[in-house]
Order: sequence, then C-alpha cells, then structure tokens
Amino acid sequence: MTDTALPLQSQADQRAIAAIRRKNAVWRRILSDPPAAIAALFLIVIVGAALLAPWIAPFDPYASNMRMRLCPIGGARCPDFLLGADNQGRDMVTRILFGLRATLGIGIIAVVVGGGLGALIGLSAAYFRRLDQPLMRLVDVLLSFPSILFGLAIAAVMGTGLFSLVVALSIASVPSIARIARGAAQSIMQQEYMEAGRAVGLGDGALIWRYLALNCWPTILIYMTLQLGQAILLGAALSFLGLGAQPPTAELGSMAADGRKFLSIAPHVSTLPCAAIFLVVLAFNVLGDALRDALDPKLRQ
Amino acid sequence: MISFPVLLGVLLIGFLLLQVVPTDPATVVAGPTATKAEVDAIRDDLGLNQPLWIQFGRYLGRVFQLDLGRSMISNRAVVDEIALTLWPTVELMLACLVWAVPLGITLGTLAARRRGTAIDRAIMALSVMGVSVPIFWVGLLLIQYVGGAGLLPFQGRNGPIWTADGALSIILPAVTLGSVFVGPVARMTRTSLLETLGADYVRTARAKGASDWRVTIRHALRNAMIPVVTLVGLQIGFLLGGSIVTETMFAWPGVGRMAVGAITSSDFPLAQGAILILAVGFMAINLLVDVLYAYLDPRIARG
Repeated sequence: MTDTALPLQSQADQRAIAAIRRKNAVWRRILSDPPAAIAALFLIVIVGAALLAPWIAPFDPYASNMRMRLCPIGGARCPDFLLGADNQGRDMVTRILFGLRATLGIGIIAVVVGGGLGALIGLSAAYFRRLDQPLMRLVDVLLSFPSILFGLAIAAVMGTGLFSLVVALSIASVPSIARIARGAAQSIMQQEYMEAGRAVGLGDGALIWRYLALNCWPTILIYMTLQLGQAILLGAALSFLGLGAQPPTAELGSMAADGRKFLSIAPHVSTLPCAAIFLVVLAFNVLGDALRDALDPKLRQ
Repeated sequence: MISFPVLLGVLLIGFLLLQVVPTDPATVVAGPTATKAEVDAIRDDLGLNQPLWIQFGRYLGRVFQLDLGRSMISNRAVVDEIALTLWPTVELMLACLVWAVPLGITLGTLAARRRGTAIDRAIMALSVMGVSVPIFWVGLLLIQYVGGAGLLPFQGRNGPIWTADGALSIILPAVTLGSVFVGPVARMTRTSLLETLGADYVRTARAKGASDWRVTIRHALRNAMIPVVTLVGLQIGFLLGGSIVTETMFAWPGVGRMAVGAITSSDFPLAQGAILILAVGFMAINLLVDVLYAYLDPRIARG
C-alpha cells in the first residue's frame, strides 16, 4: 500500500526546484547587480568598523591635543593622523569611526523601535478588521506630516539631546513601516492556512505571531533597511541644527556643524563627516532600491 | 479634511510647550515685590488654577484671535515675529521650486526618452545621489567654494527678492535647497513618462505622424505631470525640512531659522508659534496641491 501513495515530487524535481530557488535567491540577485553588491560590501565593512570602533580606532576620540589643532590631511604636524585633526586636535579617523557608531546606532535604534511599533500597528490593522480604519487614518496623518517637525516639536518639549533625537526618529519611522506591514499581512490573511489555523482553534495571539508576523518579517525588514537611510539623514540634519547630539559627542551631524566655523582654514573638519554620511546613506539607498526591485517581480525585466 | 486632527495635535503640542516654561507666569506678572497672596490672586485671575483642558480651550481661543503670546527674549508679540519671517521663507521656497522643478522634469524626460542608455543611467545615478546627500554638505561646499571666493553673498538676506542685492543673496540658499529636490522630481517624471509613453493615445499620435519630441511633450508629458505634481506636493514637507537647515546655514531670516533659534534658546512661546506656523503652512500647501491636481486632471474634480 505504501507504494500507491504517489510521491509529490521526485528527487530530481526537488533538486531542480532547489536549483531554481537558489538561482532566484534575493541575495544572488543583489550580488549580480554590481552597484548593489558594492553597496552591500561597503555597508558590511562600515557597520563592522563602527561596531569595533573602540578597539580599532587608533586614538581616543575625546582626548584633545592643542598642538595638533586643525592639522590638515597629511600635515607634517600630525604624521600619525591619517585624515588630519579637528579643532581640538583630535584624530579625524578616530572621530569618524566613533561618529559612524553614534549616527548608525541612533538610526538603527530608531528604525527598530519605530519600525517595530509600525509593524505592530500594521499587523493589527490587517488582522482586526475593525481597527483597520482608525489605525490607518492615524498612520496617514503621521505620514502626511513632515518628519523634521516631529524633531523640532520633540526637541522643544523634551529638550535637545540624544534621547529626544531617538524618539523623534522613531516616530518618523512608524507610519511607512505600518503601511508596508499592513499590505504584507493583508495578502497573508487571504491564505488558506490562516483559515486552517483558525479552524484548529488557535487564538488571536498565536495566529498573529506564528502565521502573520513570521511570514511578514522579511518584507518588513527590507523596508526597515530602506527607512534607515532616511532616518540617518534626518538624524544628522537635526544634530547639525544643534537639536540632537551635542558636542563633544562624536556624531557625524554635530561634527559637521562644529567644523563649520573652520571652513575657510580647515575644510576637512566638516567635509569628512559630511562625506561619511553621504556614502553611508547612498549605500543604503542603492541597496534598498536593489532589494525592492529584486522582491517586486513587476519591476524586474 | 485629514489635516484637521493634525492641526489639533499641533495645537496640543504648542499648548504643552507653554506648560513646560520653567518660570511661573503669575510671578512674572505680579512683579518681584508682590506678596504671596497677590501672586495667588493673579494666578486665579489668569486662570492658571483651572484644569488643563479648560486652559487648553482658552489657548485655542487665543490662537484663533492670533494671540500667540510674547517672545521671552525679544518681548515682542510672537505673531509679529512670525509676520517678519514668513515672507523670506516663502521667497526661498519659491526660488528653489522655480529652478529645481523644471530642471527635474527636463532631466526626467531626457532619461525616459533615452531609456537604457548611458544618459539615462547617469541621470538616475545623479538622482540617487541627490536623495542621499545631506543638504548641509551641499550648503557647506557652496559656502566654501562660491561664497568663500567672494563670488556670491552667503550670509543673510540683503533685501527683498526684487532688488538686485536681494536677488543675489538668495541664489546660494535657493541652489542648496533645490539640489536635493531635482533628483526625486527627475525620477518621478521618468517613471511616469515611461508609463504614459506606452499608452494607446501616444500610439495614435505617432500613427498620425507626429514627430517624436512632439509626441513626448504634447501628448505624453502633459499626462505624466499628474504624479509629478503629487510628488511635489508630498515632498513639500521634505522641502520644509531642507529649508530649516538651509535658513540656519545661510543666516536666512525665515521661520525655520527662527524655530531652531527659539528651541535652542528655550524661548518657548516663540518656538510654539514657529512650529504652529510651519505646520499650518504645510497644510495650506497640501490643500493648494489638491486644488492644482483637480485643475490638471478634471476627472478628479468631478469625483
């Protein structure tokens, strides 16, 4: 009797399917697109360097040395400083490594917190139909509002500083992730296994977590990556305005603002942090676009 | 009408801002020599003992009478301060849109017409770079190379835009602000135009023997403009953010710079007024875009 049960897929079929899956794997498509591959590689290096900043940075980011003050790149006064020194005589390489750490850290925390909240809102809106209208109205309102105004308002109410900056960036990340999560969850709500899960008596919590969240998270994660570039840019702008990280904190936006006073005599002090922000955000945007194209078959040609 | 709850939220934030003022308004009004009983009487008089929601109601009443309080630093009415800064901001935004939107549309059209070529790729690469660059870097580079060389003024506004000095002083801020705007407009124009170029009426126009560029501009571009107008409208918030940074960098006497200054110097009444006017201005522009949208596409007006 066992022989009559038809094997759904022969071993050869399974191998063929696995081969197609491998060929179409998202990461493989990313790697076959040179700019995206370079961006991904660059980001891995940068995130690694930022994480390891305390161990790989050659100097102390806060120890000033007035003899090295505003030493230019390759200047004779500071042979050990590869990228010169800032207005306190601090090594620019060290400052930028720590600045990346702060800037990336702020952006990542904000996108994880705000994105998590957004995902929760989106999943709830898709799962509980009655909540859909009110929740999505709220999201539309948040989305229509310029995120820099959140930054201003929160800095005004809570005072300037890293904490208000993270709160503002988190709020700014909520609405777009909520929309994406809702869209992804709605298509899963239509799947038969949702009904099957309900039929075997699973509760709301189990259905949302095991069936909805675990199926949606890849999409949500990718849009969080896209959002990260925007969060970093906004965070740097707010810090540049003096509403976020405060000097002497090594944060790229506030370093750029700090170096502004020496633009005519030592442009590298503000240009280097700006260039670092630009490259990181550019890499996130290039990678994000490639991920979106890879996942959206309509755009793939 | 979506903006109504936003407006209420913004007003609530403005009200809360006035609650965190560290000084007690009653003590200030009473003066340094007042006794405790006098201060209490004045507090009662000002309604400061009433529940917060009643105070919020009274705040709303004052806002609708355009009474936003007085700046704690200059002691001038917040409404007067706003009136002074509003026009420079509008001027800056218009000066940015006036060059960035046409350039974006031109580049987008060019990219769509030369789809897949090096020109297309170059324009799209520029557009991604445009959305990734921190706006303050563009400003710093312009200040360093153009302003520093003495070619153009970069500190403050030297007069209204219709005077020669004023027009010269707006160039660098307007270029800075517009630089981050060209990319998204070019990109949207390209996508939208590629869609319309495949439409039936475009094929009809070609069949009639219209020239390539005539088809692109007369038939396709017009219809492709609708998403572009939407985008420009949606990006106004983004532009507002950019203008806050630009004004601060170039000492441009606008609302954004005033808001940042008020927040960093803890001038709560002024900060409240500035945030309020930025939010209201943003909503007004959105409304304007909706109207323009209906004008471009009569189907929308009919419902």
